Amino acid sequence: MSMNERNAKILTTMLALPALLPPAACLSYILFKGIPVLDWAMLIGSSQAIAFGSISTLWPQITGSILLMLGACALAAPVALGGALFYALAANIRQRQTLLGMMHLLVGIPPIVYGLCGLIVLVHVLHWGISLLTGMVILAVIILPMLLMNSVNAFDRIPGGKTEAARALGLSNGQLIRRVWLPVAWPALMTGLLLGMARALSETAPILFTATVFSGVVWPDSLFSPVTSLQTHIFYLAQEGANAEAVDIAWASAVILVILVTALSFGASALRKIRMDG
Amino acid sequence: MNTKKNKITTVPAELPQQVAANDAGDTSLHVSKLSLALDGKNILRDISFSLPAQGMNILIGPSGAGKSTLLRCLNLLHSDWHGELRIMGHDARCWPEGEDELRRSIGLIAQKPALFPCSIQQNIVFGLSRKECSYMPQIRIEKVLKQAALWDEVKNRLHDHAATLSVGQQQRLCIARALMLSPKMLLLDEPTASLDPRSKQFIETSLLELAQNMPVLCVTHDIEQAKRLGGQVIFMCDGHLIESGDSKLFFKYPNRIESREFLRWSVCDCS
Amino acid sequence: MRASALISLIVVMLMLWFLVQQSWPYWQHYGLGSFVSGDWYPYESLFGLAAAIIGSFWAALIALAIAIPTGLAAAVMSSEILSGPWRNLIRGSMELLAGIPSVVYGLLGLWLLLPFLQSSLHLLTGHNLLAAGLLLSVMILPTIMVMAQDALSEVSASQRDAAASLGMGWSARLWRILLPQAWPGIRSGILLALGRALGETMAVMLVVGSMDRIPEPFYNLLSPAQTLTSRIGREIGESAFGSMHFSALMACGLLLALVTIAISLLAHMHTDSARAT
Repeated sequence: MSMNERNAKILTTMLALPALLPPAACLSYILFKGIPVLDWAMLIGSSQAIAFGSISTLWPQITGSILLMLGACALAAPVALGGALFYALAANIRQRQTLLGMMHLLVGIPPIVYGLCGLIVLVHVLHWGISLLTGMVILAVIILPMLLMNSVNAFDRIPGGKTEAARALGLSNGQLIRRVWLPVAWPALMTGLLLGMARALSETAPILFTATVFSGVVWPDSLFSPVTSLQTHIFYLAQEGANAEAVDIAWASAVILVILVTALSFGASALRKIRMDG
Repeated sequence: MNTKKNKITTVPAELPQQVAANDAGDTSLHVSKLSLALDGKNILRDISFSLPAQGMNILIGPSGAGKSTLLRCLNLLHSDWHGELRIMGHDARCWPEGEDELRRSIGLIAQKPALFPCSIQQNIVFGLSRKECSYMPQIRIEKVLKQAALWDEVKNRLHDHAATLSVGQQQRLCIARALMLSPKMLLLDEPTASLDPRSKQFIETSLLELAQNMPVLCVTHDIEQAKRLGGQVIFMCDGHLIESGDSKLFFKYPNRIESREFLRWSVCDCS
Repeated sequence: MRASALISLIVVMLMLWFLVQQSWPYWQHYGLGSFVSGDWYPYESLFGLAAAIIGSFWAALIALAIAIPTGLAAAVMSSEILSGPWRNLIRGSMELLAGIPSVVYGLLGLWLLLPFLQSSLHLLTGHNLLAAGLLLSVMILPTIMVMAQDALSEVSASQRDAAASLGMGWSARLWRILLPQAWPGIRSGILLALGRALGETMAVMLVVGSMDRIPEPFYNLLSPAQTLTSRIGREIGESAFGSMHFSALMACGLLLALVTIAISLLAHMHTDSARAT
């Protein structure tokens, strides 16, 4: 290794250092601040504390976040799967290009813009109000493009030979999908779903003014009542500078949120390791 | 590694004397006891041979014998081998101007042409430094293209994108690109493996011409091609160097059982 | 199946249409002059966009200025210098970084970065564009790094070998082979990161200070400011549906949508047509 080469490599490493330190620093600071505050009572919460809307329990927020996430996935996953099957089976090149282009566009649009549109259409025009359903639909639209592109990729990577062999045996489209494609592609599809769930959990801005309230909700009465969520809870509490306890609870919520999101992405990367030819 | 060294020695008996004679002056490349293990697998074991100052040399052997890997070792693209490699009398590991300079003086042409995504002319001068480029060596470009038997086909389209050439032309462009650096020797890894007969012939002719001025080491597993090119033959099998010698003798009277096997099967292939 | 493909098309169209429709009163009333004016006083019916546009611009610029060199260097380091487990470690930590929700970044910014900036730069308040930019740079770093690393690793081994056997050293290979050939991917990564930086809301909202005025002088990054996203996030709850204030906020949203759509069109212009065939 010549001097020049070593210098270039050292320079690169120096430049890269700021990129390598923050992950560890951010994560450990969150844990450092949040873990001491967390305890079981806070997670589950005594029924009394919940009834009084105390901020020292996070159970309503956790259920709210998870409800929003599950609803969003339940709405988006079928559409994404259908879109991907259309892409793989029926679309011609122009339709494929349009679909992919649209998905890239949708991915690029900031979540808060989806929030605004949701506010206009769902809250005001359709009179759903600030509600769980509004949040679910908005989050579903936000995660739809990534789910769809992921499913398209999953079907793309199925070896062409398998499809041809199945066709040669005279399988219809439905049989092909059920008996060949889904068994091969399910790990990739699930990976995408888990990543979509992680995304739905972490989006905050679009549900801030369309689906959530600060407190007072334990379990939403219906799809049309507002919920509380971890994400927005962090936002509200973070600004309570005068109240040290509130900020502590914000850190605790952050720990729970980060753990949930990280668990989902670890699940996704574990699934990704399952080979597609199984 | 050390335990393996005394296990098998496959250097032909006459080689040590040859080496001694070559040390006197006209060896351009001398390899002795070169071994390489990748991921715990021995790819090359105790390879020893030398190349004279000019002439054609054929490295032949079945697929997986380690021929391509050996070429990459000679160029220090693999550098974690054991043994000795002397080029122009210098130890290749401590090449005076560093290993990049060493690679400049050895032209290596890969099996599949690897052109850079720019024009034909830019590809030819790619290896030159900016200073060398500023002389705009139009005459040299013409010369190397002629040496690579490509000039007539590209003289009017030097500024076209390199990808517009056919694969055979691309391979000759790779040779021209290597020649632009005035290498002291040329190593080729199955340069005609994926080419049609016509391009094959072009390349063989230009290689034979080049071999008059510098040593050319050409890997092939095509026996007919090896016979056409002639010169010294080095036969490798399973990481060992089995036999080396003059090509006419080798193809007529192979000494070793492995060589005979290889030649016999290849004859069957052809018929 | 065709229906679900159509749904996505319709969604884009509908979104844009509603944004235009809702912001129409604003455009009609204020016209293009709104881009020049920096005054935003909802109670006095002054809705100038300049302050927020400049704020968004600065925050994104700072973020890119930090994230591009470090992200590229990290990508080069991880794909060209390190090997095996170290590479996976860096990649994994980048994915972790990308997974942290933006509101958590906001929390970190508010209670870790702001006090630090305040004390080290002796400011009255740490809320400023610099803080927003710094926070954004950490948030967009994974996008740039991961896309650049993918692009670098897609440069074929034969190209690397060919360059090496022409005697090109490590840095020459990097500058003349790897970076040029990986450039389309790197460029897409940078553009996507820019889009993300412009559209990021929660983290910016918490640290930027939400002060509606053009920085004085315009390169003063150390005073509280406002971005398009933080303005929407702060005020949308207070504005009544159908009012001019609401309409002006929708105009901010429309602007944001158009800019980010243009950016993602640029980012994917070349890749899509190659892919679908």
